[in-house]
Amino acid sequence: MKNLSFFENIKLYVGFTDVSSAALRELHPIAAPFFHPIVDDFYAAIEAHPGASQAITGGQAQIDRLKQTLIRWMDKMLLGPHDEEYYELRARIGRMHVRIALPQQYMFTAMDRIRVRLLDVVRAQVTGDPAKIDRIATALNQILDLELAIMLETYREDLEAKHRNAERLATIGQFAASIGHELRNPLGVVESSLYLLRQHLRTEADAPPVKKHLDRIGSEVQRANKTIHDLLDLARNRPPQKRATSIPELVDSAAEAALLPASVALHASVPAGLTLSIDPDQIRQVLVNLFTNAAQAMKGRGQIWVEAETTDEHGARLRVRDDGPGIAAPDRARIFEALYTTKAKGSGLGLALCRRILEAHGGAIEAEVTAAGASFLLTLPGAASGPEQP
Amino acid sequence: MKTKAITVLVVDDNHELAENLAEILGMRGFAAVVANSAEEALPRALTDGADLLVTDFRLPGMSGAELVRRLREKREGLRAIVMSAYTDDTTVAAARDAGADFLPKPVDLGALSRMLSAA
Repeated sequence: MKNLSFFENIKLYVGFTDVSSAALRELHPIAAPFFHPIVDDFYAAIEAHPGASQAITGGQAQIDRLKQTLIRWMDKMLLGPHDEEYYELRARIGRMHVRIALPQQYMFTAMDRIRVRLLDVVRAQVTGDPAKIDRIATALNQILDLELAIMLETYREDLEAKHRNAERLATIGQFAASIGHELRNPLGVVESSLYLLRQHLRTEADAPPVKKHLDRIGSEVQRANKTIHDLLDLARNRPPQKRATSIPELVDSAAEAALLPASVALHASVPAGLTLSIDPDQIRQVLVNLFTNAAQAMKGRGQIWVEAETTDEHGARLRVRDDGPGIAAPDRARIFEALYTTKAKGSGLGLALCRRILEAHGGAIEAEVTAAGASFLLTLPGAASGPEQP
Repeated sequence: MKTKAITVLVVDDNHELAENLAEILGMRGFAAVVANSAEEALPRALTDGADLLVTDFRLPGMSGAELVRRLREKREGLRAIVMSAYTDDTTVAAARDAGADFLPKPVDLGALSRMLSAA
């Protein structure tokens, strides 16, 4: 027996044949005039639902585009041909839904909404003998089952890819963590020996050529400790412990912890009283990393702006930007990858950690395209609008 | 009359680190002695009459928390500090359950001094 493709296999399973394709082609001219009311009803249901509508971020313009796409989708579903190319096209649409993070349950129930409305059309508009109505309704049910199966397959592919990636990260993480711990002891010896050396040298420790090197040892040990700290944080992957947190206070404490030089001015424009359900330690660390990066990129002189605004979904957008040299386009796509760095003395962990923290919060971080300076946009979902909440 | 210095037993399988800590504690007025394993520390704590114990968590053979537990069975109320680079909840809880304070590595010398002075 020859190997069947995924699509051939499921077509065989539901009994979808050329007869089914012909029945759907027969339905097309009858159903096409009803496509507009069907898509209007479809998107009205999504817009009315907070969980489903969070996948749509582009407002009315995006919805209008999506409606056109859905009409073309129904055209193609009825007209076929239902071949491998059809499968590839449908799988691409499925992957798009995965990419915009439309929760699987909404994909599933939305498909059923279309099924109900199209079957209504079949019953009300198809004339002739009951056997014909039956044949068309069966073909419609079959093709919609096939559409669902393809969609589910793309969600499964995505889960598998995420799982592989997580496993890889976990392996690297465990390895990195054991090295990190091993390095802490020798660093502890260097650090304490440095302290003792300073005590034994007494005033001699302040002689410029001696002091320069003692300070250098101290600051390099500190840098190594920071790298290990970030590495262990990344490997530990602690889930956020969310609690109601005042954002203006959080920004203040992050600014303090970042130990910015006096020649770096930080301007915060955050609505007073803005409170979000987040892990304050983790989000503070994100802000500290962004502030520190900005100060380093500006070579210790310049301005940083922090702006926050609430979103319609009770979440917030935070923007951290500076008037430094900005991020080169090729770097923009990669700076959030672990171990990728543009700094001569960077570990490539800071922004990877930021991304992991934002994603664990159900949010996102991106480097924006700017005319000048660097700009990071943080999206944090609201307490009541995350997909995990009912 | 000179008051007797408080004796601190420092236990770490990293000998250099144990020695450095002991030297620093010595500078701060403590009498510090060093052991590099729990087996070595057990009899010493009992015979040398250590007043305080500062131990690493990860020791060959027996954990620092277990060492604290065994010593406190013989010397009730012995003040102990467990240090570790592993700061996960399990390690911290094991140290606290044994009756010790926890100090993360790399050791903040100021925090160690404060903890010892409070003892």
